[in-house]
Amino acid sequence: MIARLTAVYVAIFAAVLAGISFYAYWLIGGQYRSLLAPALDTPEGQSGYHGAMEHVLVTIVSADVPVLIAVGLLAYVLARASLRPLFEAREREQQFAADAAHELRSPLATIATVAQAARIEADPQTRAHLDTIARTALDASALIGDLLTLAREPRPGLLQREPVDLAHVVTTCAREFDARARAADLELRVAASGAIVDGDERRLRELTRNLLENALRHAKKTIVLECGGDASAAYLRVRDDGDGIAPGLREQLFQRFAGGDTGGHGLGLSIAHWIASAHDGRLELESVAGAPGACFVAKLPRLS
Amino acid sequence: MRILLIEDNLPIANAVRAMLEARKFAVDVATDGVAGLDYLMRETYDAAVVDVVLPGKTGFEIVREARAEAIHTPVLMLTARDAVEDRVRGLDAGADDYLIKPFVEEELIARVNALLRRGDKPVSSVATAGKLTVDTGSREARYDGLSLDLGTTEFRLLEFLARNANIAFSRSQLLARVWDYDFDGSSNIVDVYVSQLRRKLRVAGGRDVIETVWGVGYKLTA
Repeated sequence: MIARLTAVYVAIFAAVLAGISFYAYWLIGGQYRSLLAPALDTPEGQSGYHGAMEHVLVTIVSADVPVLIAVGLLAYVLARASLRPLFEAREREQQFAADAAHELRSPLATIATVAQAARIEADPQTRAHLDTIARTALDASALIGDLLTLAREPRPGLLQREPVDLAHVVTTCAREFDARARAADLELRVAASGAIVDGDERRLRELTRNLLENALRHAKKTIVLECGGDASAAYLRVRDDGDGIAPGLREQLFQRFAGGDTGGHGLGLSIAHWIASAHDGRLELESVAGAPGACFVAKLPRLS
Repeated sequence: MRILLIEDNLPIANAVRAMLEARKFAVDVATDGVAGLDYLMRETYDAAVVDVVLPGKTGFEIVREARAEAIHTPVLMLTARDAVEDRVRGLDAGADDYLIKPFVEEELIARVNALLRRGDKPVSSVATAGKLTVDTGSREARYDGLSLDLGTTEFRLLEFLARNANIAFSRSQLLARVWDYDFDGSSNIVDVYVSQLRRKLRVAGGRDVIETVWGVGYKLTA
């Protein structure tokens, strides 16, 4: 950002300087011509004029270069100084968001932990209430975490990266969801072939889980979970056979709180999108000809 | 099984104690960092659950100081902030695992049990193989005195190979032992890590430290 602003400053100044230099050259040329007017038709006069103008050109350019360098340095200092408050404000904002999230989460942690401990010795009725309390507190805390994530621009610096095999992520998540899928009378089909990405395994599991959660809400009979890769890119695909995404909704699908109608707080897909972007990849809605339902595919750069 | 819990938030401390005691663990609670470190150094525990933010001493400091005194009690860190830096800092300080608050009870118990299983087989904290030393206490690996900058999994793989120097392992054995992968896909993740380790070892002057055993897999030669 500093570099871009510096470049803009330098470009503007260089254009102005070029204009002034050209004008000076043209002005001096005119002066010389009127001075040398009587002799200008002779060969000596001509060569004298050209020699003088060459000298002028060299003088102007050799004056321009150091000025331009000085301006470049000045522009950098200026750009940095003018952007600093902006950076600082952004940093303060992020810090505030992190602090606020922390403050909000602490009491939720107390509620969730105490409720879970209390259920150990509770009767069945009370236990059900305590479960509700604990689950609600855990959900609220997870929601705060998601909001905090989305408040930041996705970038690799927010990940803990290591080479990860997507096939491992897929098989782990499939195992987690298998029982739930069967309980909902759905078949979860898995096809995992090895594809190694430079990724944050925890985040990639979160991405997969979010896509599976979404599929679980919409699928009618089958969910297909696959991963693999070609020479350059790795993919992770989740396809359901639900009603699909209405064309009007596609645009805002990955925006915050877009989901809405069938449960979930609507951040799942936004988070999945954020995670894919942070990995320098992207999350897309694929259309499969003739197949109903939604098909999400995360494309991530493959580790060479 | 005896567990030390260092947590300054009393309601949470009591709740976690109740959860652990319901599983027949004996639990000692310390509510500040200084007392916590003192307990950890004086008594013998099978595992410790340590909060990061504590009065007196932070959880990071407790683990680092305990490790420096050669106390290798497995530690589960509890953090309220879910930031990559925190996780990395915790593991670098010598913690074995971390759990973000609030957590699901079953998750806590599963993590504690995993720590206890790990603690079952006490290993010396420093593995040496030839010019290579891997210190799990300080989480530091050196070749010929030069420090190697390794990621978590790289470190685990190198540690495993160093502890079992001169033994050849197949890729699926390494997947099972180092990664906890229980599938044998077409994955070449082991090769990726081995080539990274080789590159880092070469920078430190170590050539052919990890050998390819044709038809089997890899071994570290000492």
